[in-house]
Amino acid sequence: MDIDPLLEITDLTKNFGGVVALAQVDLRVMPGQIASLIGPNGAGKTTLFNCVTGLMAPTTGKISFQQQDIFGTSAHKVAMNGIARTFQNIRLFSEMTVLDNVRIGCHTQSRGYLWSAISRNRAYREEELQITTDAQELLQFVNLDNFATQIAGNLSYGDQRRLEIARALATNPKLLLLDEPAAGMNPRETNDLIALIRSIRERNITVFLIEHDMKLVMRISEWITVLDYGQKISQGPPEMVQSDPRVIEAYLGQSAGSNH
Amino acid sequence: MISMSSILSSRSGLILFFLCLVPLATAYLDQGDYLLRICSTAYLYMLLALGLNVVTGFTGLLDLGYVGFYLIGGYTAGLLMARLGWSYWTALPVAAIHGGIWGLLRGAPTLRLTGDYFAIVTFGFSELLFRIVKNEEWLIGGPNGFVNDIPAPTLFGYELWQYWQQYYHILILLILTLLVVYRLHNSRIGRAWQAISQDEEAAQTMGINLHEYKSLAFAISAAIGAIGGAFFAQFQVNISAGVFEFWESILILCMIVLGGIGTLKGALIGAAILGSLGEVLRIALSWMRLPADSRYLIFGVILVLMMRFRPAGILRSTQKSP
Repeated sequence: MDIDPLLEITDLTKNFGGVVALAQVDLRVMPGQIASLIGPNGAGKTTLFNCVTGLMAPTTGKISFQQQDIFGTSAHKVAMNGIARTFQNIRLFSEMTVLDNVRIGCHTQSRGYLWSAISRNRAYREEELQITTDAQELLQFVNLDNFATQIAGNLSYGDQRRLEIARALATNPKLLLLDEPAAGMNPRETNDLIALIRSIRERNITVFLIEHDMKLVMRISEWITVLDYGQKISQGPPEMVQSDPRVIEAYLGQSAGSNH
Repeated sequence: MISMSSILSSRSGLILFFLCLVPLATAYLDQGDYLLRICSTAYLYMLLALGLNVVTGFTGLLDLGYVGFYLIGGYTAGLLMARLGWSYWTALPVAAIHGGIWGLLRGAPTLRLTGDYFAIVTFGFSELLFRIVKNEEWLIGGPNGFVNDIPAPTLFGYELWQYWQQYYHILILLILTLLVVYRLHNSRIGRAWQAISQDEEAAQTMGINLHEYKSLAFAISAAIGAIGGAFFAQFQVNISAGVFEFWESILILCMIVLGGIGTLKGALIGAAILGSLGEVLRIALSWMRLPADSRYLIFGVILVLMMRFRPAGILRSTQKSP
């Protein structure tokens, strides 16, 4: 292939004491893709996200992003490098306003520090204006612009999920990791989410998501990686993964799959 | 909105105007100086409450040893002025920087700690300092401290020792501190602190460097405490270890809890109430022939009542959902 992968994970292992959460996982996400990571509960999907985003230190292996080694890099540096994420159990700054949540996301895009904050000089005012404009634009993008002044914790579940996406987008990422974005959504909200994920990709942001909703995964993914008990058991385009006997076995048990 | 500081908005301006007139009014009262002293003490506590609020209110880490920085500021300024003959106006910023450095030093080993563990380290730090100043005789006079050794600050050749001068002195320090803290709170730095207080991991994934922003809060908070200490040293003329007992940290903490933790108005109101009440009770209790320390009992009762009836503080934080 002539294009370099955006995210390349080689031989990634993560142990918790004696428990192997990830065992020598290899995985690639190409730029511009919508890629998915699926697998039964406890397969190690969120652990993989945590290792990539620096919230957990991986045990061994290699993680490179844009051909740069980011193995074991701390979380704030990963964010500065252009990887943003959402969480499986929504983790908004729930006591702050909707707008402020997104403005915090603009942290990576701004430089203001002590002197500019205390003196409120021109650079400060211009930067604050820019941050607020950007944040409002993103709220419009996820259709939450009418809720800007509300407290984030008071939003409905689906709205909180979209706010978390807007907050992640505010960091201006090249790669967006979504951890079960459709969890708890009704079918109409899920449809809106699919449209939203596609329009995120149109902003030249690569999307890599963990999801249990197979209809959603099969509809939007161009590439799927399947984990089971910390091991990669399959990968490929949706049609291929869907018919892979190892995948069917992992989801439905031995009798449903063919023996190999 | 953001560009307009609330300090300069009309209502705050009005309050400030009246505060500036207080010494003119008290000049006609018998007990005028006593009243000015109570006000100055309240302002000093308001300044300290603002400083503590930077760590405990903004970043959400419980600091049980804030008095340690107050002590450092007081003794630094006291030493420089009484022993080395420095002017107050150079001793004050040096004390602030010295406090800030200790804020960073105390912060370094606690960066990974949260909750109770952090609180215990802060408590240990201030207790350690208290023991040192109480027992060190050669340089800082042991338990007696400096007795009437600290000269009054001078400005254009005038010595600022009268009560009305002290009143304006601490009022100006308080306003400057409020301005700095308010502006920081409403900036990129303040937002990062708020994010840290609500979810450290989520804050990190926003690109916020936890160690850097916590250290910044520690240093600023400590520097403000030290400024309070430096003012206190020349205000009291003498300075001794007894002032810096553990209870003082708890008292300042009670102020920001009373007013509503995390808000600037809350810190100011809580400190104004408990700060002036302390001075009033000192007199009232001695009338009733009760020991002065029994005022802590009354503070305790107030806190218990607060927890029962207004757990979010007198001013409910507007950030919090009901």
